[in-house]
Amino acid sequence: MNPSPDGVVPVPLLQVEAVSCRFGGLLALNQVSLELEEGEIFGLIGPNGAGKTTLFNVISGLTPPSGGRCLWRGAPTTGLGASGLNRLGIARTFQNLRLFESLSVRENVLVGLHHAARAPLLGSLLASGAFRRQQGQLQERAMELLSLLELEALAEQRAGDLPYGDRRRLEIARALATAPRLLLLDEPAAGMNPAEKDDLRRLIGTIRAHFALTVLIIEHHVPLMMQLCDRLAVLNFGRRIALGSPAAVRTDPRVIEAYLGGSGGGSGARSGGAGGDGR
Amino acid sequence: MDAALFEQMLLGALLALSVYLPLRCGQLSLATPGFYAVGGYVAALLSTGVPAFAGSGATSPLPALLAEMALGGALAGLIALAIGGPVLRLRGIYLAIATIALVEILRVLNLNLPFTGGAMGIFGIPQPFANAEGYVLFTLALLALACWLCQRLESLRLGRAMAAIRDDELAAACVGIDTPRTKLIAFVASAVLAGVTGALAAHFFNSWNARAGSFDASITTLAFVVFGGSRLWPGPVLGGLVLTALPELLRPVGDLRLILFGAVILLGPLFFPQGLVTAERLRWLAGLLDRGRQRGRQAPQTP
Repeated sequence: MNPSPDGVVPVPLLQVEAVSCRFGGLLALNQVSLELEEGEIFGLIGPNGAGKTTLFNVISGLTPPSGGRCLWRGAPTTGLGASGLNRLGIARTFQNLRLFESLSVRENVLVGLHHAARAPLLGSLLASGAFRRQQGQLQERAMELLSLLELEALAEQRAGDLPYGDRRRLEIARALATAPRLLLLDEPAAGMNPAEKDDLRRLIGTIRAHFALTVLIIEHHVPLMMQLCDRLAVLNFGRRIALGSPAAVRTDPRVIEAYLGGSGGGSGARSGGAGGDGR
Repeated sequence: MDAALFEQMLLGALLALSVYLPLRCGQLSLATPGFYAVGGYVAALLSTGVPAFAGSGATSPLPALLAEMALGGALAGLIALAIGGPVLRLRGIYLAIATIALVEILRVLNLNLPFTGGAMGIFGIPQPFANAEGYVLFTLALLALACWLCQRLESLRLGRAMAAIRDDELAAACVGIDTPRTKLIAFVASAVLAGVTGALAAHFFNSWNARAGSFDASITTLAFVVFGGSRLWPGPVLGGLVLTALPELLRPVGDLRLILFGAVILLGPLFFPQGLVTAERLRWLAGLLDRGRQRGRQAPQTP
């Protein structure tokens, strides 16, 4: 496991400062603070309804926080909105997959290349030489990303027709196309079998190395997160109850109580199956 | 088929494209007839009231027509730009209702403003072309230009962004697409096209009144797109052509014609829920043509 690069970079890539998020009577996030260092894989775990996805929505600009703020390289991101934050360098995937279903796999990635595709209007309309060269480069770039995620054979298929695992990978390819510095992955292993989860873990490692990315990942599968992440934060009922290296979090009594139901011994079918996979 | 009907069909196809443009990024706007009326009034007022545009009285010079179309399109576009910001925050049926309200506001304004001629409207709009054939050629060129632009849109960044918004607006924002701006561009483009078409139509019809932009017209233009298909530009063009022609072609059956027309509008979506023109049908057609061409090529080789 990589040692966390704490303290190497003076300004953290992303700071979450006492973010709260209230929906009517429900306090989905309660003064949550985090700091992400450049280059680390940071895991976010917690029981269902703990506020993990809400935190993702705040960081990616989809939900404005009711209190607190986020800082990107030290500058507040308040009011930027999802597209503004993406342009800063934050890309995400969704827990319930939001592909552009009527577009082809290749077109999904091309949409991700939106900002790389900037071109003068007249040249684009008349398909000037410069425009065609740029289009060629974009197509090449899209195919590179697709082959990295082993989707190149499916490039012309409609995204809505893809099987589940391919959709998950396509969403990652689309996010990567926006050239992010920080990638938010919301339960990328959901619905995958152990072998697929292993592939995914390798894939995330490859992606991080290839793009020098920082990754923030939500995942229920604890053994996967223990192997993958440099640091982990644990949320429960909107509060951050633990933060630290996987080894430290694993033995934290509050985590064991919140996440494993107080028995501490891997009760329940999921923990049992997961334990066999992880060790 | 007489040229006057064909001209009306072409105008219908242009209006259908104007409804198609916002739909291409998922926005159901029924404002097209409102902008069409605005464009028509610009042309009618200029060519009957301003000597530079009026020509000799009965005929008006072609450059004047082009200038009126540009001004009519520009005014419609400006109105769309001004109201687009707040209106496009609405989604789906709510946007449709807001745009119906816009059409009604413009209609009431057109009826009551001191210079728009009240319910009678404006008469004796001079003709830039001697006959309907002239209009047909000119409108064909305009429709070809509009279709070409729609076709180019398919391979442009803007077109991809619009398609992405149609599929999933939230995901589109998360890949860095400025969704309000993209929707506004589509809405303004739709308004400009409707305004330009209105300016041309005012000359063709020789008179212009507030009925050009009514709620009925909103529904009719929407039916063009529902009937033809909203995914690909040939859909609305086909819908506009066919549904404009149909009531006229059905004239021999007398009063039954409107019932038949209604039945077509009803049965179209029932049997072709995606509209007549879909990607699959176009592929099938292309395959058919390809096979035909190959057969034609092989025929001389076989003795």
